[in-house]
Order: sequence, then structure tokens, then C-alpha cells
Amino acid sequence: MKFDTVIIGGGLSGLTCGIRLMEQGRKCAIVSSGQSAIHFFSGSFDLLSRVNGQEVTNPLESIHSLPSEHPYQRVGQANIARLAEEAPQLLDRAGMVFAGTAKRNHFVLTPMGTMKPTWLTLDDFTSFAKNDKLPLSRATIVNLQGFLDFHTLFIKDGLTRYGVEVQVRNVAMAQFEAIRRNPSEMRSSNIAKVFDQGDALDQFAEKVNKLGKESDVIILPAVFGLFNTTVPAALKARINKPVVLLPAVPPSTPGIRCQIQLRQRFQELGGTHFLGDMVREGKFKGNRLRYVNTNNHGDIQLEADHFILASGSFYSKGIKAGPYGLFEPIFGLDVDGENEREKWFDKQVFNNQPYMHYGVRTDARFRPMINGQPVENLYAAGSVLAGSNPLKEGSGAGICLLTSLHVAEQILQDQDDEERYI
Amino acid sequence: MNTSKDYDVIIIGGGATGAGTARDCAMRGLSVLLVERHDLATGATGRNHGLLHSGARYAVTDHESASECIQENMILRRIASHCVEENDGLFITLPDDDIAFQSLFIDSCQKAGINAQAIDPDYARLIEPSVNPELIGAVKVPDGSVDPFRLALSNVLDAKIHNADLLTHHEVTGIIRKGDRVTGVELYDHQTRAKVSYHGKIVVNAAGIWGQHLAGLAGVTVNMFPAKGSLLIFGHRVNTMILNRCRKPANADILVPGDTICLIGTTSERIPYDEIDNMYVSTEDVDVLIREGMKLAPSLATTRVLRAYAGVRPLVAADDDPNGRNISRGIVLLDHQERDGLSGFITITGGKLMTYRLMAEWATDLVCRKLAVEKQCETADNPLPGSEKNDFSVKSATRKIYSGSRVVQMSAQDRHGTLASNIASSDMMDDAMVCECEGVSIGEVNYAIKELHVANLIDLRRRTRVGMGTCQGELCACRAAGLLGEALEETVQAKDDLANFLQERWKGMYPIAWGETLIESQFTSWIYEGIYGLKPENN
Amino acid sequence: MKKDTFEPYNISDNDFEQCVKCTICTVYCPVVLVNPDYPGPKQAGPDGERLRLKNPDYFDEEALKLCLNCKRCEVACPSGVKIGDVIQAARIKYGTKRPTLRDAIMANTDLVGTMASAFAPIVNTTVALKPVRQIMDKVLKIDHHRIFPKYSGEKFETWYRKHAAAKQDGFKKCVSYFHGCYVNYNFPQLGKDLIKIMNAAGYGVKLLEKEKCCGVALISNGLVKQAARQARHNVRALQKSIVENGHPVVSTSSTCTFTIRDEYPHLLGVNNEDVREQTELATRFLFRLIDGEKLQLVFKKNYSARVAYHTPCHMEKLGWSIYSTSLLQMIPGLELMQLDSQCCGIAGTYGFKKENYETAQGVGQPLFTQIEEADVDCIATDCETCKWQIEMSTTAKVKNPVAILADALDIEATQALWQQQ
Repeated sequence: MKFDTVIIGGGLSGLTCGIRLMEQGRKCAIVSSGQSAIHFFSGSFDLLSRVNGQEVTNPLESIHSLPSEHPYQRVGQANIARLAEEAPQLLDRAGMVFAGTAKRNHFVLTPMGTMKPTWLTLDDFTSFAKNDKLPLSRATIVNLQGFLDFHTLFIKDGLTRYGVEVQVRNVAMAQFEAIRRNPSEMRSSNIAKVFDQGDALDQFAEKVNKLGKESDVIILPAVFGLFNTTVPAALKARINKPVVLLPAVPPSTPGIRCQIQLRQRFQELGGTHFLGDMVREGKFKGNRLRYVNTNNHGDIQLEADHFILASGSFYSKGIKAGPYGLFEPIFGLDVDGENEREKWFDKQVFNNQPYMHYGVRTDARFRPMINGQPVENLYAAGSVLAGSNPLKEGSGAGICLLTSLHVAEQILQDQDDEERYI
Repeated sequence: MNTSKDYDVIIIGGGATGAGTARDCAMRGLSVLLVERHDLATGATGRNHGLLHSGARYAVTDHESASECIQENMILRRIASHCVEENDGLFITLPDDDIAFQSLFIDSCQKAGINAQAIDPDYARLIEPSVNPELIGAVKVPDGSVDPFRLALSNVLDAKIHNADLLTHHEVTGIIRKGDRVTGVELYDHQTRAKVSYHGKIVVNAAGIWGQHLAGLAGVTVNMFPAKGSLLIFGHRVNTMILNRCRKPANADILVPGDTICLIGTTSERIPYDEIDNMYVSTEDVDVLIREGMKLAPSLATTRVLRAYAGVRPLVAADDDPNGRNISRGIVLLDHQERDGLSGFITITGGKLMTYRLMAEWATDLVCRKLAVEKQCETADNPLPGSEKNDFSVKSATRKIYSGSRVVQMSAQDRHGTLASNIASSDMMDDAMVCECEGVSIGEVNYAIKELHVANLIDLRRRTRVGMGTCQGELCACRAAGLLGEALEETVQAKDDLANFLQERWKGMYPIAWGETLIESQFTSWIYEGIYGLKPENN
Repeated sequence: MKKDTFEPYNISDNDFEQCVKCTICTVYCPVVLVNPDYPGPKQAGPDGERLRLKNPDYFDEEALKLCLNCKRCEVACPSGVKIGDVIQAARIKYGTKRPTLRDAIMANTDLVGTMASAFAPIVNTTVALKPVRQIMDKVLKIDHHRIFPKYSGEKFETWYRKHAAAKQDGFKKCVSYFHGCYVNYNFPQLGKDLIKIMNAAGYGVKLLEKEKCCGVALISNGLVKQAARQARHNVRALQKSIVENGHPVVSTSSTCTFTIRDEYPHLLGVNNEDVREQTELATRFLFRLIDGEKLQLVFKKNYSARVAYHTPCHMEKLGWSIYSTSLLQMIPGLELMQLDSQCCGIAGTYGFKKENYETAQGVGQPLFTQIEEADVDCIATDCETCKWQIEMSTTAKVKNPVAILADALDIEATQALWQQQ
């Protein structure tokens, strides 16, 4: 099978690359080994929230204080500023509306009842301009009876510290009795499936309206709109107070919805999406990758002019750690990271963990290397890149979106160059 | 609790020995206070193999220990059936081992009263498919598994049934003396950060390796020789029988199945006394354990390692040998009145988990002599709470009310024995799962919080196995923290508690942080730090 | 660089241990929401396996048999856990209940098919009768809503020997056809269509030596020993064709193909290493030839149809719908739309059982809605049981892509292209 570009990884990076290239008329295939980490989406994409432990106000301005090997520094501040404008537009074209700007972080409420700086927030959720006070004085937190993955107590504690008067209420509904009968399945995605159809949402809204009479806002778990994209808006229309949704324990309902919307956008543009398949290995000719083989397609190779490695970090097995070293499992690319495992971690779990920085080593054009030699037509984007601790910086989604757009540009430019040359 | 109460006996140490001594004393009608710095079974009791020794391991080198073991082994099968699994053990001879050792081994076992039978290697492979197929000899012995958390807990529960008082998270900061007489203890309450004193006629030092420090507080000297032992927990049960090497005891030569997991141990390393609170497992330890473990059961090479941990054996130097050349693994009972002229203070130490009951009996006998109480020890005859005989069998307990409740109810039964009937399971809320790996329900969590002395999430883990499964708390920690916070009405503490719990889990994970464990850690961090915004400094 | 030079020994090869409890499988399980008695793939699979290894009493036969074995959990799993296999393997390893008469009858497709084919007119009329369906419902617990696939009077194998076999020796290149029970007993036309296409493409079509049912129904009904026997028999037949005669094997059923390729080694412990790669769907075989520019198909000028493709679960697991849809898209007058991949609920014999009827229809509902809303002439799909389910539950007509291709193909023009060379 022949494509212009084959993308390894179907997460935020892979899909962003795929959509961008398809929009430019390139024929792409994405190979995704299972569903991606977008399933753990909190509702917001961070660009840069902290540098050296200090909260960042203007992410664009703060990029220069990052170390030189950081992906943002290597994309370049000007490019980041430009691409940061493009990213929400791309998401918008896929049907997702985000609020926020890269020039100034806004804030969202966390499930611990604290405020967190962020870049783009999905319109399901509520953005706040300031983090020192909340524009509300009385809140009602409503949970579904038997739902253990939404921790009202923690939210209440956090809000109380902002001087908000909080009441916690539980709602029981007949529609949920069936899943509650199953001791392990009262989870957010199953609840969302119930709200996706029928009259559960109407009844729920009615109950919430009664409970929240005295409050300025209603706080609910984000369990609305899994396969049905109209549910979040319908919820807000039916509840007569402002609604603040907070993430529950993953898999995240809005995350799954976003994943589906991105995938659909990619497919509607004509992209080929191979789910549940895994790239096994690649065949090189000199410094060029000619094709890759996957588990499902066996001898039928996926050929392409360009390849993108968007296979993620450890979690997605983009890089792997064995007891005696780190490695990139598909091509054996060079990995940036310590080889001795006792150097991978800090003994305090909440400290900056060295392993979080590890990833594949790339050249100035984000091309990964084998024994120091870049592969001519292979690019790396997203969490598989070395050089940052996305968790500590609050930069994970930004790195995925922006390095992907950057790499897509490199490929488009590459192809233009080649065409000119021919 | 009444601080002006004058107890007959105050016991220091919530390990098996302290818990057993509290039970024995209480059963003999004494008024008892048991104090513990952290939680039950946090010292050597909770940091070993969980092996119900038949004594075979000691048969060749230490006849006395071996015969104590087999006697206590048989007693525990009777009185602690819900803490014990009667799964038998194999002592295997590998091509590298001297097969001649086998007959000496069997002889010694028989002399100690241990039923050791040589079996055909083919038969060994049949009854224990995980065993190294290259074995050239095998001896079957009545080893078993014992859950030390359950064992310590049920001793405490029985002590409480007999009116004993228990203070966990209370650290002894001073031993109160009146002249040559010990009259009580000064305690620091870690939860309220308050100091408090209790008085008693006799203070029993059952603090294991920390006994040296406590003796010092009382002004007497006990020399402990700490030996660190490291162990690895594997993600699931590879073996159903205990696997040992049939040779002189060495590193990493015991593989024990216990509940959902199996574990290999131990290494042995002498450490300075000032390191006993700072246990860590080194890379070398991990490598040795896996390498040696593979020789017992080759499939360990490809089994996920869940955790690594280390404990300190409370070995005691004989009094006439302060340099520790002549270390006893046997039970050491010190009457400080006789030994040091300090009355009202005794130390019970040495020994092993297997002989905790016997140690408790010796200590209690001495206490009774001093208090002129004549009641006989009954701890070997009366079953522990949870192990009472009745027809509440696993099968009849698994009523099918809700589909998944079978897992929940069977797991609860495994953990609490007959006491599982105290766990509410009347509606679906009670049966809803908090910990999916170990099948812990809301009902069980609430029962533990109410009845089993739970002050924080880590305690809850020891009572219920919450967070002990594959995900090491990734999904269940916040669920359990929420329930605990609600029950204790302590939100602020609940967040700290959650952070502490994750740190405690990480401690056992980082020594083996590769493969799935590293993935799991990264995922857990994303959830708690990334999505939840949990940070110690925020709480 | 060779892969084994950089990938060190993987520490965990216990597949279920690679589960990091992300719970994504549950999102994509079609059963959980419809039937809460099913514990969900995570509980039934990796979590349950760990408990079963602790004590086999944790095996819950009643709960685990609710798994459809659709493998959608495996497709979704980001950690590569073979969740469906873990569940099915547990049923095999720990299951104690003997299959009921009904299950045994439904599982033995060959036996029943042979008998029914002989008396096809009587059988077809009888099982279609309402009272008979009521009796089957009561006595055999086969749901009375179910319409049995019609049995053909003449088995495909019989037809082949009479009308096609001789001609096949005239081709230089040959494939063997694993026709499966459906083609043999119920719908020989699909087999005839395949022969038509393959012959047009320049390939003779042989049959395997004494093909037996792939055994998928035996596996799901707990008749594992018999399934393994049949699997070994089939693998020997495949070896004879592939290894000895150099004839690759093609099939028109995604389920038969999937079972032979993956369930044989994973669940039945039958080694198929030397034949697996060359046992595939006919559409994949054709795609490879066309993609490699070794074949060109010419289609009728006047062909016109609007078709929606439904991805059967096992096709989703194989990842092969692209082959079938690519071929369909080559037909100039054919307008193809792709339905969102969802389970139809039938899962072979699962949906036929009275106790599963409601679950099966509940699972399939979202797909049925999609189909009713799609404005097409027919649905294309590679699985025969999906076809029964969709035809029973919707107003749509369902065809195998091979049947559509055969319809649209200009045989003579296609033949002419390679005959000229």
C-alpha cells in the first residue's frame, strides 16, 4: 500500500499531523496500536504552565527560559507563536471549540478544587481569568449516586479555601440502576452512554435544578457526550444555573469524544486509519525509510515518501524501558536518556522524575537518528520527543500539537523542494 | 482513653509478637495496653516472605528452631485458618546442588518432627508445574503461606475482645522510671501531635529491631544486629506450592505464593543500626533476586515484578558476646530485673514470625509470674477471630446477589474469614468495587474503617489489600481516599493522605521501575498530578 | 538494524500483566451497557485472570459466557493485551459445564448442515414455521425471533465437483478455497461468485482436502476438544495446499479466516505457523495482486449501486476492511460509504440463544439505526452471521463484497488482459 505519509501513532500528535497533511492534499495513513492517551484528556490543553516550578503567565514569552534542547526552543519561539494560532483553528475545523490564547494562560478548576493555569479549554469546561479568587459564592456539587470516580470532598475542600459556600448532593436515577448492579462498571464512560440517548438528561437536569436553587453554579463530573456530541450543550441548556464540569477518573468522556472527532475529521478528509495495529519494523535503503510492516498487514507493506513517528512516551510504548536500558522499539532509534535504571527516577514521587524527560533524539529538523545519523524521511513529533518533562511544565498537549504542526510543515516543504528539484 | 488508668501490662510494638503478647495477656485476664509507633505489622512482621515455615529450612542447621516451627505451624493451621494457606512446600535439588544433602535434610526434618518425603522429580513437575524442570530431586514438606497482616490484626482483635486497649500511631518517646522500677511510657501521638503518658505495672518491649532503642530509653542495653533482607513481589501467582532450594539456606531461595501474588526472597546484608528506618532495595539486590528466583521457577524471568521491599531481621547478640559473633535466631526473653536490676521491664525479641505465639506465651508467662497470676496460656487452643470453625464455607458465602459480587465476596472471605459476615452487602452500593485488582468493595472499606483501626490509607491497605494489586493504587487510591475522608470527616488530611499513599507505593516501585511498572507510574502521575492537580504543596 | 539487536528481552510475556488498568476496553465493550451481568472486559479479562490464578474458584462461568468474543476490547487496548483471548482461554481452562444439547447442535455446523442440506426443502419450511420456532424456543432455548438461514438443496462441494472442478486444472496458477459452512450448506452462490472472479483473474480454484468447519461455534460453545481436532485436521489440509502444492488459501468469511489464523494458535494451541500467512480473505489476496500491479480488474460500464460497508468485529480485529472496501471502490459505478464500525450483536451462535436475544439486539441497535438511516441499495460485509443479523433486524439487504465484485466484473475483458500477455 502506498501513501504520501505514514504516521505511526494515532494520538493527539498523529492525528494533528494527519489532519494537517490531509488538508494540504497529502494522502496519509495512521497506524494506531489501540486507543490513544487523548482518552485521559482533562478538558484543557496546556502550552506551558510552569518553568522551574514557577507558574507562567505568558507561555510564549516564557519559552526562552526553557533549556535549549526543549522541543519548543527547537521549533523556535516565532514558529511556536504562529503555530499556536493555527492549532485551535485545526481543532475547530474538526468540530471542537476551544477557548484561550498562547499569550496569556487562563485557569481551570481541578478535581482537587485548586486552580491550574492552561492554554486551551474545551467549551464543555469553564475558564477563569484569575486564580486568586472565584467569581462565585455558593456552589452545589452534584454527583450520581454510586459514582466513585468523582471526589466531591476534595472539590469542596478546595472551594472552601476560596471562600465559596459549598453543598454536596447526590442524585439517584432509575436509568443508572442497571450499571450500578455491576460492581465494577459504574464508570464515567458508561454513565455517558446512558446520557447519550433517551430522556436521562432531562430527568437529571430537572433534579439538579431543584437541588441547586440556592447556588450560583452547579458543579458536575464531566460525564456528558461520549458518542453524542450534542449532549454537553443540551445539558447546559436544561440546567438553569451556570454549569462547571470537572474531570473524573479516566477514561475521560470529553477526551473520547475529541478523539472520535479528530479521527473522523482525518477520515472525512480521506485519511486511512488503522486501529489496533502495530508497526513491527521498517525497511531502510541507505538513510531512507522505504516502508514499514505491521502486525495486521503482514507482507503487504505500507510504503510512503515520509514517515512520522508519533508513538508517544513510555505509556504508549513509543519508547520502552527494560531492566538493562532504554530503547525505541520499532526502528531502534537513538534514545536520549540514562542507560542505568537507577538514574531514571527520583525517590520522591512528586519530584521531577528524570524518566519523564526521555525520548528519541532528533536533529534540528526533528528527524530521529540511528547511531547519530538522521533518517532522511522520518520525523518525530509529540511525546516521543526527548527534552522536556511535560507533567512538571504543563506542556504535554502543547508539545504534541505544535511539534506535529511543525513537522507537518517540514514535510510539506520537503515535498515542495523535491518537486522543484525534479 | 483513660490516661490515669494503671494497666497491668503495657506492650510496645504492634508486630506479631506484640499483638500475640497482648492477646495472651488479655486472655489471662490482665488489663492490657498495646502501643505502636506506626501501624500494625509495619516492621519485620509485614516485611518477610509470609512463609508458614514447616521448620524444614532450619532442620539441618538449627534443630531447636525447626521443632519450634513445626509445632507452631500445626497450631497456626488450627487457630489462624483464615490467615494460612495449607499449600505445602517443595525443597528442590538442582543439577548444581549436591544431591547428597537431600538425605541429611530428610533425616534432620524427621528428627525435628517434620514430615518430609522425597518425591520423584517427575511427580514434582506434575504437582507444581512452575518448578524448574531441570530439578534432580524434590522433598515435600508441610510448608504453607501465612498473611502476616491478617495474623497481627486478628491477634489484636482478639486482645480487644478480651478488653485490651490499642494505640496505633503512638510512638514511645520515653520509658517512665521510678528508681529501679519502670512504671509507664511517654507517648507521642503522631495524629494529634500531642504527648501523653500511660502507666502500667509491667512494660513489655516487643519492638523487634527497635527494641535496642527502647531498651536504651529504659536505661538498659540490648544489642541487636540488624540484617536487611530484600524481597520482590511478582504480579500474580506463578506457583501454588512454596519452592525452596534443598541446600544450606542462601540468598533468594524461597518463592512463596500469597494471596494474589508470589514473592521471592531474601537477600541478607548486615546494616548499621542507624539505617534500620531507611530501608531501600538496591539494583544489585533486585538482580540477584530475579536471577536466583529464575532457578526455582524459570517463568519468573518473564513475570512482571510489582514491588520490591526490604525488612530487618531482629537478630540479637548473646549477652556474653556483644560483638555479635554468636547470634541467636532463637527466641530471646530478657527479664531486666534479673539481668539489669530494672524491675517492671521485660524484652521479648529474636525468634521469627512463625514462633510469635510461643514468644508471646513465654513473655506472658513471665508477666504472669511477676504479677502472681496463675492462669494458663490458651492461645494455642482457641481460634483467632475470623478462624472460628463453622459451616460458613466459601461456597455458601458466594450468594449471587449481583453479578460481580462473587469476586467481592470471595475476596472478602479470603481476607477476613468468618468476620467477612460483618461486611455489609445488602445493597449495590456496598458491593461496588473500590479496588478492582483485589476486589475490595465499599462495604469492606467501610467495615475496615469502622472496626479495624484504620487511621489512613496505608493502614487501610494493610487491612483490605486496597492498592496492593497490579495498578498499585492508580485507580483505587482516590476512591478509597474519598471514602476514608468521608468517614473520618477529614478532607485536608485526606489529600495529604492520598499523596502519602502514592509516595508509599512509589517506594516499592522505583527499584523495579522498568517495563509495565514505569508505564503504570507515568500513567498514575498523569492522573493525579496532571489531571487531578494533586501536589503535596497544595494541600 | 535487525530488531532483535536493539530490543532486549521483554520482561513480561504474560499478556494479561501488560494491562495498566486504563479501562479503555470497557468504553468499547458492546455488552457491558446492555447486560450489566457481564463484568466487563477488564474485570472478566486481566483482573479476573489474576484472581483465577490465585484460586480457580474465582472463575465465573455464567458471567464470562456473556462475552461475545468480538475482540473490540483488544482493538481498543493501548497496551496490547489480548483481553478477548484471556476471557475465552479462561472459559476453556476452567469451564466445567458440559454444553447443552442445543449448544452442541448449533456448534456442529457440519453435521447439522449435511443433514439439513439433504432435506433442505423440508427443513427450510419447517424451521420457518412459527409453531416450530416456538417449540425450538421452549425446548432448545433458541429464540423464536430468529429466522434460520435457509439450507441449500445442493451443497457447494457437490456443485463444485459436478460443475467446476475439471475446469480448474486449466489454470497455471491456483488457490485453494476455504468455503466454510455457510457457503457449503446455505449459500453456494457466494462460492460460485468467488470462482468466477478468480478464474477471471487467471487463478484456478481448488478445494481443500476434506475441509471441516473452522470450529468457531465449537469454541464458543465449549466443545474445545472437538474444535482442536477439527483445527488440526484443517491445518493439515492447509499445509497440503500451501506447503506441498504451493496453493495459497483464500476464504470469503472473515470469521473463518480469523479463527484459522488467530484462534487456532491462541485458544486451541494448534500451531499454524507455516500456513498462517498464506491463509487469508479473498479480497486481501486480490488487493495484493492489484496493488503490486500483477492484476487488473475490468468492470462493467453500466454497473451502478450505492453500498454501505459494515465492518464485522473479526474484520475490525484483523484490520482488513481496507482490502474489501478498496476493491469495492475500484468499481466505477459504485458509491461506497463506510458505516461506523459497531458490533451487530449476533456473534455467531450467541445471538441465537434465547437467553442472549435481548443482549444481542441491544448491542446491535446503534448499528441498525445507522443502517436504516443510510440511503443505500445494499450493505456489504464479509461475515455471514452479520448478514443474518442485519437482515433479520433491519430492512436492508446484505451482500458479501465478493458477490458485489462478481456482479460488477466484466469477466471477458478482465480475462483478456492477462490472456494477451
